[in-house]
Amino acid sequence: MNMMAVRFGLRVHAARAVTRNPSRALGIGAARSLSSDSDFSGVNERTLVAVKPDGVQRRLIGEVIKRFEQRGFRLVGLKMLQAPDKLLAQHYVSLQKKPFYSSLLYYMTSGPIVAMVWEGHNVVKTSRMMVGDTDPAAAAPGTIRGDFSVHISRNVVHASDSVEGAQREISLWFHRSELVDWEGCDHKNIYHL
Amino acid sequence: MAGKTERTFIAVKPDGVQRGLMGEIIKRFEQKGFRLVAAKFVQASEDLAKQHYIDLKDQPFYAGLVKYTSSGPLLAMVWEGLNVIKTGRVMLGETDPFASKPGTIRGDFCIEVGRNLIHGSDSEKSAATEVSLWFKPEELVSYRSCAQEWIYE
Repeated sequence: MNMMAVRFGLRVHAARAVTRNPSRALGIGAARSLSSDSDFSGVNERTLVAVKPDGVQRRLIGEVIKRFEQRGFRLVGLKMLQAPDKLLAQHYVSLQKKPFYSSLLYYMTSGPIVAMVWEGHNVVKTSRMMVGDTDPAAAAPGTIRGDFSVHISRNVVHASDSVEGAQREISLWFHRSELVDWEGCDHKNIYHL
Repeated sequence: MAGKTERTFIAVKPDGVQRGLMGEIIKRFEQKGFRLVAAKFVQASEDLAKQHYIDLKDQPFYAGLVKYTSSGPLLAMVWEGLNVIKTGRVMLGETDPFASKPGTIRGDFCIEVGRNLIHGSDSEKSAATEVSLWFKPEELVSYRSCAQEWIYE
C-alpha cells in the first residue's frame, strides 16, 4: 500500500512537471483541461456559488468568500450583476412548475447578485455541505445557511447541486473569457500530489 | 462633493488573492456600511496595469509595479458612500505597511511596501478615471441598500 501510494504520487508529480510551463508561474497561459490527467483527481472540478440579493443586502458577501478561501478552494470567476429575468428563467428551468417559482424569480431580481465560480477537489459536493440544507431550519450550525439564515425563502446563497448542473450553470452565468486560470501558492499544501 | 453616491475604485492585488484575503477585505468595507456597486475577478493585462499606474510612469519602481499587478488575478471593485475615497484610504492604511496602524488593512496584513495587498483611489479625479478604466457602465449595478437609513442620518 505504501509502495502503491509512493508510485502513484511520483507518477502524478512527473506528469504535472511535464505539463508545467514558465508562463504559468505568472498565472498566464492556456486554460487547463477540466479533465487533465496532469492533476490530482477532481482538483479542477468547478461549481457555481451565488450570493443572493438578501445576502448582498445583509453584507454577507465577504463572509461567504472568506469561507471558501479558507477552505482552500480557488476562485476562478466573480461578478456582480442585476440578473435579467431570462437568465434566471434558464437557471431555474427545473423549478418553473413549482408553486413558489414566481416569488423566487421576484426575489432573485429584487437586487444584485454576486456570482462566483470556485474550483477544487470535490467542490460541488463540498460546497453543498458548506452551504447547508436548503431549509435553514435544518441547516447545521457552521454552515452558511445554518449561521446566517432563518427562512427557506431567504437562504442567502445558491450552490450547484451536481457536477453536470454546475457545468450548465457556469456556462449560463459566465463567458469563458471571464474565468481566470491561475496557480495558487497554497496548492501543494492543500493537496498531496 | 458627491455625498452618499461618491465612488472609489478598490482592487485586491495579486498578493491579496494568493493569500486568501479577498473575503476579509470585502467584509471590512461591507461592515463599515459602504455599498458594493461593481465587482469582477480579472487577470489584468500588462497594458491595463500600465494605464492604471500611468501617473507613476517616471518612477523607478514603475516596471516592477506593473509586473506585480499583472502577475496574477486581482479582484476589482467599486464601493460607494459618503467620503468613500478618503475613508477608503484611511481603512487601507499607509502605502508603506510599516507606517500603517493596526486596525487598517495594510497594518493588519502587510509587511513590505512592494506587497501591500490593495489599491484605493486617491482623489475624485483618479477614482472616476479608474472606475471607467476597469468597468463598463453596464457593469455598475444600481440598488438601494435596506440599511441606508441606519448608516446615514
